[in-house]
Amino acid sequence: MKLLNKYKIKLSLITFFLVYSVGALADVAVIVNSANTAAIDEGDIPRIFLGKIKSYSTGDKVTLVNLNSDQSARAEFEDKVLNKSATQIKAYWSKLMFSGKAKPPKELENDKAVIDFIQSNPGAIGYISAESVTDSVKVIKTY
Amino acid sequence: MKHTCKALIVTSALFAGNLHAEIVFNGFSSIVGGVTTSSKDELYGYDDSFDFKNDSLFALQASADLTDGIGVTAQIISRGKNDWDVDFEWAYISYDATDDLRFLVGRQRAPFYMYSDFLDVSYAYTWITPPAGVYDLIFDTFDGVGAIYSTSLGEFDSTFQVMYGRNTDKLDVFGETVSPDFKDLLGGSFTLTRDWLTLRAGIFQADTTIPHSGINEIAYGWQQAGFTDVASDVLIEEDKALFVELGFQLDFENFLIVGEYTELTLDDMAIADEESYYVMAGWRFSNMLLHVTYGVDENSKNDLTAGVPWGLDPGIDFLKASTQGLVNQQKADESYITLGLRWNFHESAALKFEYTDFSDDLNSLHDAGVFRTALVTVF
Repeated sequence: MKLLNKYKIKLSLITFFLVYSVGALADVAVIVNSANTAAIDEGDIPRIFLGKIKSYSTGDKVTLVNLNSDQSARAEFEDKVLNKSATQIKAYWSKLMFSGKAKPPKELENDKAVIDFIQSNPGAIGYISAESVTDSVKVIKTY
Repeated sequence: MKHTCKALIVTSALFAGNLHAEIVFNGFSSIVGGVTTSSKDELYGYDDSFDFKNDSLFALQASADLTDGIGVTAQIISRGKNDWDVDFEWAYISYDATDDLRFLVGRQRAPFYMYSDFLDVSYAYTWITPPAGVYDLIFDTFDGVGAIYSTSLGEFDSTFQVMYGRNTDKLDVFGETVSPDFKDLLGGSFTLTRDWLTLRAGIFQADTTIPHSGINEIAYGWQQAGFTDVASDVLIEEDKALFVELGFQLDFENFLIVGEYTELTLDDMAIADEESYYVMAGWRFSNMLLHVTYGVDENSKNDLTAGVPWGLDPGIDFLKASTQGLVNQQKADESYITLGLRWNFHESAALKFEYTDFSDDLNSLHDAGVFRTALVTVF
Protein backbone atom coordinates (compact mmCIF):
# COMPACT_ATOMS: atom_id res chain seq x y z
CA MET A 1 0.00 0.00 0.00
CA LYS A 2 2.76 2.36 1.03
CA LEU A 3 4.66 1.47 -2.06
CA LEU A 4 1.62 2.13 -4.22
CA ASN A 5 1.15 5.58 -2.64
CA LYS A 6 4.76 6.42 -3.25
CA TYR A 7 4.29 5.34 -6.82
CA LYS A 8 1.20 7.49 -7.15
CA ILE A 9 3.00 10.54 -5.84
CA LYS A 10 5.83 9.99 -8.27
CA LEU A 11 3.40 9.62 -11.13
CA SER A 12 1.47 12.76 -10.27
CA LEU A 13 4.75 14.65 -9.94
CA ILE A 14 5.81 13.50 -13.36
CA THR A 15 2.41 14.46 -14.77
CA PHE A 16 2.68 17.82 -13.05
CA PHE A 17 6.08 18.55 -14.52
CA LEU A 18 5.07 17.37 -17.96
CA VAL A 19 1.94 19.51 -18.05
CA TYR A 20 3.68 22.44 -16.46
CA SER A 21 6.68 22.45 -18.75
CA VAL A 22 4.66 21.95 -21.94
CA GLY A 23 2.28 24.68 -20.82
CA ALA A 24 5.05 27.10 -19.96
CA LEU A 25 6.79 26.63 -23.29
CA ALA A 26 3.71 27.10 -25.34
CA ASP A 27 1.79 29.88 -23.62
CA VAL A 28 1.65 33.42 -24.89
CA ALA A 29 -0.07 36.21 -23.00
CA VAL A 30 -1.75 39.18 -24.63
CA ILE A 31 -1.01 42.22 -22.51
CA VAL A 32 -2.10 45.85 -22.26
CA ASN A 33 -1.26 48.82 -20.08
CA SER A 34 -2.48 48.25 -16.53
CA ALA A 35 -4.62 51.39 -16.77
CA ASN A 36 -6.41 50.09 -19.87
CA THR A 37 -10.06 49.49 -18.88
CA ALA A 38 -11.38 48.67 -22.36
CA ALA A 39 -13.54 45.60 -22.82
CA ILE A 40 -11.62 43.43 -25.28
CA ASP A 41 -13.57 40.55 -26.69
CA GLU A 42 -11.66 37.35 -27.40
CA GLY A 43 -12.77 37.45 -31.03
CA ASP A 44 -11.41 40.98 -31.37
CA ILE A 45 -7.85 40.01 -30.45
CA PRO A 46 -6.78 38.64 -33.87
CA ARG A 47 -8.47 41.58 -35.60
CA ILE A 48 -6.64 44.05 -33.37
CA PHE A 49 -3.31 42.39 -34.18
CA LEU A 50 -4.08 42.48 -37.90
CA GLY A 51 -4.72 46.21 -37.68
CA LYS A 52 -8.42 45.84 -38.49
CA ILE A 53 -9.64 47.26 -35.18
CA LYS A 54 -7.87 50.54 -34.52
CA SER A 55 -9.64 51.80 -31.38
CA TYR A 56 -10.64 50.26 -28.06
CA SER A 57 -14.20 50.19 -26.75
CA THR A 58 -13.23 53.24 -24.71
CA GLY A 59 -12.44 55.17 -27.89
CA ASP A 60 -8.70 55.24 -27.20
CA LYS A 61 -6.36 54.52 -30.09
CA VAL A 62 -4.72 51.10 -30.34
CA THR A 63 -0.92 51.08 -30.57
CA LEU A 64 0.25 47.67 -31.73
CA VAL A 65 3.60 46.30 -30.75
CA ASN A 66 5.18 43.14 -32.11
CA LEU A 67 8.07 40.93 -31.04
CA ASN A 68 11.15 40.44 -33.21
CA SER A 69 10.92 37.43 -35.48
CA ASP A 70 13.72 35.64 -33.59
CA GLN A 71 11.51 35.41 -30.47
CA SER A 72 9.77 32.04 -30.16
CA ALA A 73 6.62 33.63 -28.71
CA ARG A 74 6.05 35.33 -32.05
CA ALA A 75 5.72 32.13 -34.07
CA GLU A 76 3.59 30.74 -31.25
CA PHE A 77 1.30 33.77 -31.33
CA GLU A 78 1.00 33.85 -35.12
CA ASP A 79 0.16 30.17 -35.20
CA LYS A 80 -2.25 30.00 -32.25
CA VAL A 81 -3.96 33.38 -32.34
CA LEU A 82 -3.70 34.57 -35.93
CA ASN A 83 -3.78 31.08 -37.41
CA LYS A 84 -1.14 31.98 -40.00
CA SER A 85 2.48 31.18 -40.78
CA ALA A 86 5.24 33.75 -40.42
CA THR A 87 5.35 34.10 -44.22
CA GLN A 88 1.61 34.70 -44.43
CA ILE A 89 1.80 37.42 -41.78
CA LYS A 90 4.76 39.05 -43.48
CA ALA A 91 2.90 38.94 -46.80
CA TYR A 92 -0.18 40.42 -45.12
CA TRP A 93 1.70 43.45 -43.80
CA SER A 94 3.63 43.83 -47.05
CA LYS A 95 0.33 44.17 -48.91
CA LEU A 96 -0.80 46.95 -46.59
CA MET A 97 2.56 48.68 -46.37
CA PHE A 98 3.26 48.89 -50.11
CA SER A 99 -0.27 50.02 -50.96
CA GLY A 100 -0.53 52.90 -48.50
CA LYS A 101 -3.20 51.24 -46.38
CA ALA A 102 -1.38 50.63 -43.10
CA LYS A 103 2.01 50.24 -41.51
CA PRO A 104 3.23 47.10 -39.80
CA PRO A 105 3.57 47.32 -36.02
CA LYS A 106 6.82 48.28 -34.37
CA GLU A 107 9.00 45.26 -33.53
CA LEU A 108 10.80 45.05 -30.19
CA GLU A 109 13.70 42.79 -29.32
CA ASN A 110 12.30 40.81 -26.39
CA ASP A 111 9.52 40.37 -23.82
CA LYS A 112 11.03 42.93 -21.47
CA ALA A 113 11.11 45.60 -24.16
CA VAL A 114 7.44 44.88 -24.92
CA ILE A 115 6.53 45.22 -21.23
CA ASP A 116 8.45 48.50 -20.96
CA PHE A 117 6.77 49.84 -24.09
CA ILE A 118 3.28 48.86 -22.90
CA GLN A 119 3.92 50.32 -19.45
CA SER A 120 4.77 53.69 -20.93
CA ASN A 121 2.08 53.77 -23.66
CA PRO A 122 -1.52 53.72 -22.35
CA GLY A 123 -2.99 52.52 -25.66
CA ALA A 124 -0.40 49.84 -26.35
CA ILE A 125 -1.19 46.16 -26.83
CA GLY A 126 1.26 43.33 -27.36
CA TYR A 127 2.03 39.75 -26.49
CA ILE A 128 4.86 38.01 -24.67
CA SER A 129 5.59 34.50 -23.47
CA ALA A 130 3.34 33.90 -20.45
CA GLU A 131 6.26 33.27 -18.10
CA SER A 132 7.62 36.79 -18.63
CA VAL A 133 4.43 38.46 -17.41
CA THR A 134 4.96 40.92 -14.54
CA ASP A 135 2.58 42.92 -12.33
CA SER A 136 3.29 46.07 -14.29
CA VAL A 137 1.03 45.03 -17.19
CA LYS A 138 -2.44 43.59 -17.50
CA VAL A 139 -3.01 40.20 -19.11
CA ILE A 140 -6.16 40.03 -21.24
CA LYS A 141 -5.88 36.47 -22.36
CA THR A 142 -3.41 33.63 -22.35
CA TYR A 143 -3.23 31.19 -25.25
CA MET B 1 37.09 74.75 -35.85
CA LYS B 2 36.46 71.64 -33.91
CA HIS B 3 33.88 73.42 -31.80
CA THR B 4 32.12 74.82 -34.81
CA CYS B 5 31.86 71.32 -36.16
CA LYS B 6 30.38 70.04 -32.95
CA ALA B 7 27.96 72.94 -32.78
CA LEU B 8 26.90 72.21 -36.34
CA ILE B 9 26.30 68.58 -35.56
CA VAL B 10 24.27 69.45 -32.50
CA THR B 11 22.24 72.01 -34.44
CA SER B 12 21.52 69.65 -37.28
CA ALA B 13 20.59 66.91 -34.84
CA LEU B 14 18.17 69.31 -33.19
CA PHE B 15 16.72 70.29 -36.54
CA ALA B 16 16.40 66.68 -37.55
CA GLY B 17 14.46 66.04 -34.39
CA ASN B 18 12.23 69.07 -34.59
CA LEU B 19 11.56 69.84 -38.19
CA HIS B 20 11.87 66.57 -40.04
CA ALA B 21 9.75 63.53 -39.55
CA GLU B 22 11.54 60.22 -39.44
CA ILE B 23 11.75 58.66 -42.89
CA VAL B 24 11.16 54.93 -43.03
CA PHE B 25 12.56 52.92 -45.93
CA ASN B 26 11.15 49.62 -47.09
CA GLY B 27 11.53 47.73 -50.30
CA PHE B 28 10.97 44.61 -52.34
CA SER B 29 12.56 42.89 -55.27
CA SER B 30 11.98 40.14 -57.80
CA ILE B 31 14.76 38.56 -59.77
CA VAL B 32 13.05 36.48 -62.43
CA GLY B 33 14.61 34.22 -65.00
CA GLY B 34 12.64 32.60 -67.80
CA VAL B 35 12.89 30.68 -71.04
CA THR B 36 10.44 29.18 -73.51
CA THR B 37 10.58 25.45 -73.84
CA SER B 38 10.71 25.32 -77.62
CA SER B 39 12.93 27.29 -79.99
CA LYS B 40 10.08 28.86 -81.97
CA ASP B 41 8.04 29.86 -78.92
CA GLU B 42 7.62 33.38 -77.64
CA LEU B 43 5.52 34.15 -74.59
CA TYR B 44 5.20 36.94 -72.02
CA GLY B 45 8.37 38.55 -73.37
CA TYR B 46 10.46 35.35 -73.24
CA ASP B 47 12.05 33.34 -76.00
CA ASP B 48 14.32 30.30 -76.11
CA SER B 49 17.31 32.16 -74.62
CA PHE B 50 17.28 32.38 -70.83
CA ASP B 51 16.34 35.93 -69.80
CA PHE B 52 16.80 37.51 -66.39
CA LYS B 53 15.55 40.98 -67.21
CA ASN B 54 11.96 40.88 -68.40
CA ASP B 55 10.12 40.46 -65.09
CA SER B 56 12.87 41.51 -62.69
CA LEU B 57 12.36 44.60 -60.59
CA PHE B 58 13.71 46.41 -57.61
CA ALA B 59 11.65 48.82 -55.50
CA LEU B 60 12.21 51.22 -52.65
CA GLN B 61 9.54 52.92 -50.61
CA ALA B 62 10.18 55.93 -48.41
CA SER B 63 7.50 57.14 -46.08
CA ALA B 64 7.27 59.71 -43.35
CA ASP B 65 4.55 60.39 -40.83
CA LEU B 66 3.94 64.06 -40.33
CA THR B 67 1.68 64.86 -37.44
CA ASP B 68 -2.14 65.04 -37.42
CA GLY B 69 -2.71 61.95 -39.54
CA ILE B 70 -0.75 63.21 -42.53
CA GLY B 71 1.82 60.99 -44.20
CA VAL B 72 4.00 61.20 -47.30
CA THR B 73 5.00 58.13 -49.30
CA ALA B 74 6.99 57.58 -52.48
CA GLN B 75 7.62 54.22 -54.10
CA ILE B 76 10.11 54.00 -56.91
CA ILE B 77 10.50 50.92 -59.06
CA SER B 78 13.30 50.07 -61.40
CA ARG B 79 12.21 47.47 -63.96
CA GLY B 80 14.42 45.28 -66.08
CA LYS B 81 12.03 45.49 -69.00
CA ASN B 82 12.42 49.29 -69.04
CA ASP B 83 16.22 48.89 -69.10
CA TRP B 84 16.15 49.41 -65.33
CA ASP B 85 14.83 52.96 -65.70
CA VAL B 86 13.40 54.20 -62.42
CA ASP B 87 9.74 55.24 -62.22
CA PHE B 88 7.66 56.71 -59.46
CA GLU B 89 4.96 54.10 -59.13
CA TRP B 90 3.38 55.72 -56.10
CA ALA B 91 3.94 59.26 -54.78
CA TYR B 92 1.19 60.51 -52.53
CA ILE B 93 0.17 62.36 -49.43
CA SER B 94 -2.19 60.45 -47.19
CA TYR B 95 -4.57 61.85 -44.66
CA ASP B 96 -6.31 59.78 -42.01
CA ALA B 97 -9.56 61.62 -41.45
CA THR B 98 -10.72 58.96 -38.96
CA ASP B 99 -9.66 55.43 -38.02
CA ASP B 100 -11.78 54.15 -40.89
CA LEU B 101 -11.27 56.76 -43.56
CA ARG B 102 -8.05 57.54 -45.39
CA PHE B 103 -7.53 59.88 -48.33
CA LEU B 104 -4.66 59.57 -50.79
CA VAL B 105 -3.75 62.48 -53.05
CA GLY B 106 -1.15 62.07 -55.77
CA ARG B 107 0.20 59.23 -57.84
CA GLN B 108 -1.25 55.89 -56.81
CA ARG B 109 -2.43 52.52 -58.04
CA ALA B 110 -5.93 52.19 -59.49
CA PRO B 111 -7.60 49.30 -57.62
CA PHE B 112 -8.60 47.54 -60.86
CA TYR B 113 -7.85 44.01 -59.69
CA MET B 114 -7.70 41.96 -56.50
CA TYR B 115 -3.88 42.14 -56.52
CA SER B 116 -3.59 45.72 -57.86
CA ASP B 117 -2.47 47.27 -54.61
CA PHE B 118 0.63 45.10 -54.42
CA LEU B 119 0.94 44.06 -58.07
CA ASP B 120 4.73 44.25 -58.01
CA VAL B 121 5.25 42.75 -54.54
CA SER B 122 5.64 39.16 -55.64
CA TYR B 123 6.46 38.09 -52.07
CA ALA B 124 2.87 38.99 -51.12
CA TYR B 125 1.21 36.43 -53.41
CA THR B 126 1.52 32.97 -54.84
CA TRP B 127 2.63 33.35 -58.45
CA ILE B 128 5.74 35.03 -59.85
CA THR B 129 3.39 37.59 -61.44
CA PRO B 130 -0.44 37.52 -61.43
CA PRO B 131 -2.02 35.77 -64.45
CA ALA B 132 -1.19 37.91 -67.48
CA GLY B 133 -4.49 37.16 -69.24
CA VAL B 134 -6.48 39.05 -66.58
CA TYR B 135 -3.79 41.48 -65.45
CA ASP B 136 -3.33 43.17 -68.81
CA LEU B 137 -4.90 46.62 -68.80
CA ILE B 138 -2.48 49.03 -70.47
CA PHE B 139 -1.92 51.07 -67.34
CA ASP B 140 -2.08 50.50 -63.59
CA THR B 141 -1.49 53.85 -61.91
CA PHE B 142 -3.13 57.25 -62.03
CA ASP B 143 -2.69 60.77 -60.72
CA GLY B 144 -5.57 61.98 -58.66
CA VAL B 145 -7.43 61.38 -55.44
CA GLY B 146 -8.47 58.19 -53.71
CA ALA B 147 -10.42 57.40 -50.59
CA ILE B 148 -10.30 54.16 -48.60
CA TYR B 149 -13.06 53.41 -46.13
CA SER B 150 -12.55 50.31 -43.98
CA THR B 151 -15.18 49.18 -41.57
CA SER B 152 -16.74 46.14 -39.94
CA LEU B 153 -20.13 44.86 -41.01
CA GLY B 154 -21.01 42.36 -38.32
CA GLU B 155 -18.34 39.68 -38.56
CA PHE B 156 -17.18 40.92 -41.97
CA ASP B 157 -14.43 43.44 -42.56
CA SER B 158 -15.15 45.59 -45.55
CA THR B 159 -13.04 47.99 -47.57
CA PHE B 160 -14.61 50.47 -49.92
CA GLN B 161 -12.24 52.31 -52.20
CA VAL B 162 -13.11 55.08 -54.65
CA MET B 163 -10.87 57.03 -57.00
CA TYR B 164 -10.89 59.88 -59.46
CA GLY B 165 -8.01 60.96 -61.65
CA ARG B 166 -6.20 60.81 -64.93
CA ASN B 167 -3.34 58.99 -66.62
CA THR B 168 -1.29 60.47 -69.46
CA ASP B 169 1.79 58.25 -69.27
CA LYS B 170 3.38 57.31 -72.60
CA LEU B 171 2.81 53.73 -73.64
CA ASP B 172 3.30 51.32 -76.53
CA VAL B 173 0.24 50.54 -78.62
CA PHE B 174 0.65 48.25 -81.65
CA GLY B 175 4.36 48.90 -81.76
CA GLU B 176 4.08 52.68 -81.56
CA THR B 177 4.87 54.88 -78.55
CA VAL B 178 1.86 57.12 -78.01
CA SER B 179 0.80 59.79 -75.51
CA PRO B 180 -2.65 58.66 -74.43
CA ASP B 181 -5.10 60.49 -72.24
CA PHE B 182 -7.28 58.51 -69.87
CA LYS B 183 -9.28 61.26 -68.26
CA ASP B 184 -12.22 61.35 -65.88
CA LEU B 185 -10.94 58.03 -64.66
CA LEU B 186 -13.57 57.20 -62.08
CA GLY B 187 -14.25 54.03 -60.21
CA GLY B 188 -14.41 52.05 -57.06
CA SER B 189 -13.92 48.65 -55.53
CA PHE B 190 -15.53 46.85 -52.64
CA THR B 191 -13.90 44.05 -50.65
CA LEU B 192 -15.58 41.91 -48.03
CA THR B 193 -13.48 39.62 -45.82
CA ARG B 194 -14.41 37.20 -43.11
CA ASP B 195 -11.97 34.66 -41.77
CA TRP B 196 -11.14 32.50 -44.82
CA LEU B 197 -13.48 34.22 -47.27
CA THR B 198 -12.78 37.29 -49.43
CA LEU B 199 -15.18 38.69 -52.03
CA ARG B 200 -14.36 41.61 -54.26
CA ALA B 201 -15.97 43.70 -57.00
CA GLY B 202 -14.75 46.72 -58.93
CA ILE B 203 -16.07 49.02 -61.64
CA PHE B 204 -14.13 51.73 -63.47
CA GLN B 205 -14.59 54.02 -66.45
CA ALA B 206 -12.39 56.44 -68.36
CA ASP B 207 -12.71 58.83 -71.28
CA THR B 208 -10.06 57.39 -73.51
CA THR B 209 -7.95 59.09 -76.15
CA ILE B 210 -5.13 57.20 -77.88
CA PRO B 211 -3.55 59.13 -80.75
CA HIS B 212 -2.11 56.21 -82.75
CA SER B 213 -0.89 57.27 -86.19
CA GLY B 214 -2.00 54.06 -87.97
CA ILE B 215 -5.51 54.21 -86.52
CA ASN B 216 -5.77 57.96 -87.13
CA GLU B 217 -4.82 57.42 -90.78
CA ILE B 218 -7.58 54.86 -91.30
CA ALA B 219 -10.08 57.14 -89.53
CA TYR B 220 -8.99 60.04 -91.71
CA GLY B 221 -9.58 57.87 -94.79
CA TRP B 222 -13.16 57.14 -93.69
CA GLN B 223 -13.66 60.82 -92.96
CA GLN B 224 -12.49 61.76 -96.47
CA ALA B 225 -14.72 59.10 -98.00
CA GLY B 226 -17.70 60.65 -96.24
CA PHE B 227 -18.23 57.86 -93.68
CA THR B 228 -17.98 60.02 -90.58
CA ASP B 229 -19.72 57.41 -88.40
CA VAL B 230 -17.16 54.75 -89.26
CA ALA B 231 -14.37 57.31 -88.85
CA SER B 232 -15.50 58.12 -85.31
CA ASP B 233 -15.95 54.42 -84.49
CA VAL B 234 -12.33 53.76 -85.50
CA LEU B 235 -10.78 56.84 -83.93
CA ILE B 236 -9.88 56.59 -80.23
CA GLU B 237 -10.91 60.03 -79.09
CA GLU B 238 -12.70 60.66 -75.82
CA ASP B 239 -14.38 57.28 -76.05
CA LYS B 240 -15.70 55.49 -73.04
CA ALA B 241 -13.83 52.53 -71.62
CA LEU B 242 -15.62 50.44 -69.01
CA PHE B 243 -13.92 47.85 -66.81
CA VAL B 244 -15.64 45.45 -64.43
CA GLU B 245 -13.92 43.03 -62.08
CA LEU B 246 -15.18 40.28 -59.77
CA GLY B 247 -12.97 38.20 -57.53
CA PHE B 248 -12.99 35.74 -54.65
CA GLN B 249 -10.56 33.98 -52.34
CA LEU B 250 -11.09 30.98 -50.13
CA ASP B 251 -8.05 30.79 -47.91
CA PHE B 252 -8.03 27.82 -45.56
CA GLU B 253 -5.12 26.70 -43.48
CA ASN B 254 -3.66 24.29 -46.04
CA PHE B 255 -5.82 24.98 -49.03
CA LEU B 256 -6.35 28.06 -51.15
CA ILE B 257 -8.69 28.86 -54.05
CA VAL B 258 -8.60 32.20 -55.86
CA GLY B 259 -10.58 33.35 -58.88
CA GLU B 260 -11.03 36.56 -60.79
CA TYR B 261 -13.16 37.63 -63.74
CA THR B 262 -12.71 40.84 -65.74
CA GLU B 263 -14.56 42.46 -68.59
CA LEU B 264 -13.30 45.43 -70.60
CA THR B 265 -15.75 47.18 -72.93
CA LEU B 266 -14.35 49.76 -75.33
CA ASP B 267 -17.12 51.52 -77.23
CA ASP B 268 -16.56 53.48 -80.46
CA MET B 269 -12.91 52.63 -80.92
CA ALA B 270 -10.87 50.20 -82.96
CA ILE B 271 -9.67 48.25 -79.94
CA ALA B 272 -11.07 44.85 -79.05
CA ASP B 273 -13.28 44.21 -76.02
CA GLU B 274 -11.90 41.70 -73.60
CA GLU B 275 -13.26 39.05 -71.27
CA SER B 276 -10.89 37.11 -69.02
CA TYR B 277 -10.84 34.90 -65.99
CA TYR B 278 -8.63 32.56 -64.03
CA VAL B 279 -9.06 30.11 -61.19
CA MET B 280 -6.18 29.03 -58.98
CA ALA B 281 -5.96 26.25 -56.42
CA GLY B 282 -3.06 25.93 -54.02
CA TRP B 283 -1.93 23.53 -51.32
CA ARG B 284 0.31 24.53 -48.45
CA PHE B 285 2.59 21.95 -46.91
CA SER B 286 5.49 22.70 -44.54
CA ASN B 287 7.01 25.86 -46.06
CA MET B 288 5.89 25.14 -49.62
CA LEU B 289 2.89 26.14 -51.69
CA LEU B 290 2.05 24.08 -54.75
CA HIS B 291 -0.43 25.72 -57.10
CA VAL B 292 -2.21 25.27 -60.39
CA THR B 293 -4.00 28.00 -62.37
CA TYR B 294 -6.30 27.76 -65.35
CA GLY B 295 -7.13 30.94 -67.25
CA VAL B 296 -9.03 32.04 -70.35
CA ASP B 297 -8.72 35.25 -72.34
CA GLU B 298 -11.12 36.25 -75.11
CA ASN B 299 -10.86 39.40 -77.22
CA SER B 300 -13.64 40.23 -79.63
CA LYS B 301 -15.03 43.17 -81.58
CA ASN B 302 -18.01 43.76 -83.82
CA ASP B 303 -17.19 44.60 -87.41
CA LEU B 304 -16.92 48.40 -87.34
CA THR B 305 -17.48 48.49 -91.11
CA ALA B 306 -20.57 46.26 -91.17
CA GLY B 307 -22.65 49.11 -92.61
CA VAL B 308 -20.31 49.60 -95.57
CA PRO B 309 -20.75 47.05 -98.41
CA TRP B 310 -17.82 45.73 -100.44
CA GLY B 311 -17.36 46.94 -104.00
CA LEU B 312 -18.44 50.55 -103.66
CA ASP B 313 -15.03 51.81 -104.63
CA PRO B 314 -11.50 50.33 -104.57
CA GLY B 315 -10.41 53.01 -102.09
CA ILE B 316 -13.28 52.18 -99.73
CA ASP B 317 -12.63 48.44 -100.11
CA PHE B 318 -9.06 49.11 -99.09
CA LEU B 319 -10.23 51.09 -96.03
CA LYS B 320 -12.66 48.33 -95.10
CA ALA B 321 -9.96 45.69 -95.42
CA SER B 322 -7.52 47.77 -93.35
CA THR B 323 -10.08 48.37 -90.62
CA GLN B 324 -11.09 44.71 -90.45
CA GLY B 325 -7.42 43.72 -90.46
CA LEU B 326 -6.70 46.05 -87.57
CA VAL B 327 -9.55 44.65 -85.51
CA ASN B 328 -9.07 41.01 -86.48
CA GLN B 329 -5.42 40.96 -85.46
CA GLN B 330 -6.58 41.78 -81.92
CA LYS B 331 -9.10 38.98 -81.71
CA ALA B 332 -8.01 36.31 -79.31
CA ASP B 333 -9.24 33.07 -77.85
CA GLU B 334 -6.53 31.91 -75.50
CA SER B 335 -6.16 29.68 -72.49
CA TYR B 336 -3.31 28.70 -70.23
CA ILE B 337 -2.43 26.36 -67.41
CA THR B 338 0.25 27.36 -64.93
CA LEU B 339 1.79 24.92 -62.52
CA GLY B 340 3.97 26.39 -59.82
CA LEU B 341 5.75 25.98 -56.53
CA ARG B 342 6.56 28.60 -53.96
CA TRP B 343 9.19 27.75 -51.38
CA ASN B 344 9.36 30.05 -48.35
CA PHE B 345 12.95 29.23 -47.54
CA HIS B 346 13.51 32.44 -45.57
CA GLU B 347 11.36 34.74 -43.48
CA SER B 348 11.73 37.60 -45.98
CA ALA B 349 12.38 35.71 -49.19
CA ALA B 350 10.83 33.03 -51.33
CA LEU B 351 11.90 31.00 -54.30
CA LYS B 352 9.32 30.32 -57.00
CA PHE B 353 9.14 27.99 -59.97
CA GLU B 354 6.45 28.11 -62.62
CA TYR B 355 5.65 26.45 -65.89
CA THR B 356 2.92 27.91 -68.13
CA ASP B 357 1.40 26.06 -71.04
CA PHE B 358 -0.30 28.57 -73.33
CA SER B 359 -2.79 27.73 -76.11
CA ASP B 360 -4.00 30.08 -78.82
CA ASP B 361 -7.21 28.60 -80.24
CA LEU B 362 -7.18 30.97 -83.21
CA ASN B 363 -3.59 30.32 -84.23
CA SER B 364 -1.84 27.26 -82.88
CA LEU B 365 1.49 28.69 -84.09
CA HIS B 366 1.28 30.93 -81.00
CA ASP B 367 1.04 27.96 -78.63
CA ALA B 368 3.94 28.13 -76.25
CA GLY B 369 5.39 26.94 -72.99
CA VAL B 370 7.45 29.08 -70.67
CA PHE B 371 9.41 28.13 -67.58
CA ARG B 372 10.20 30.84 -65.03
CA THR B 373 11.92 30.93 -61.71
CA ALA B 374 12.06 33.82 -59.27
CA LEU B 375 13.77 34.92 -56.12
CA VAL B 376 11.51 37.44 -54.38
CA THR B 377 12.08 39.45 -51.23
CA VAL B 378 10.63 42.15 -49.00
CA PHE B 379 12.85 44.24 -46.80
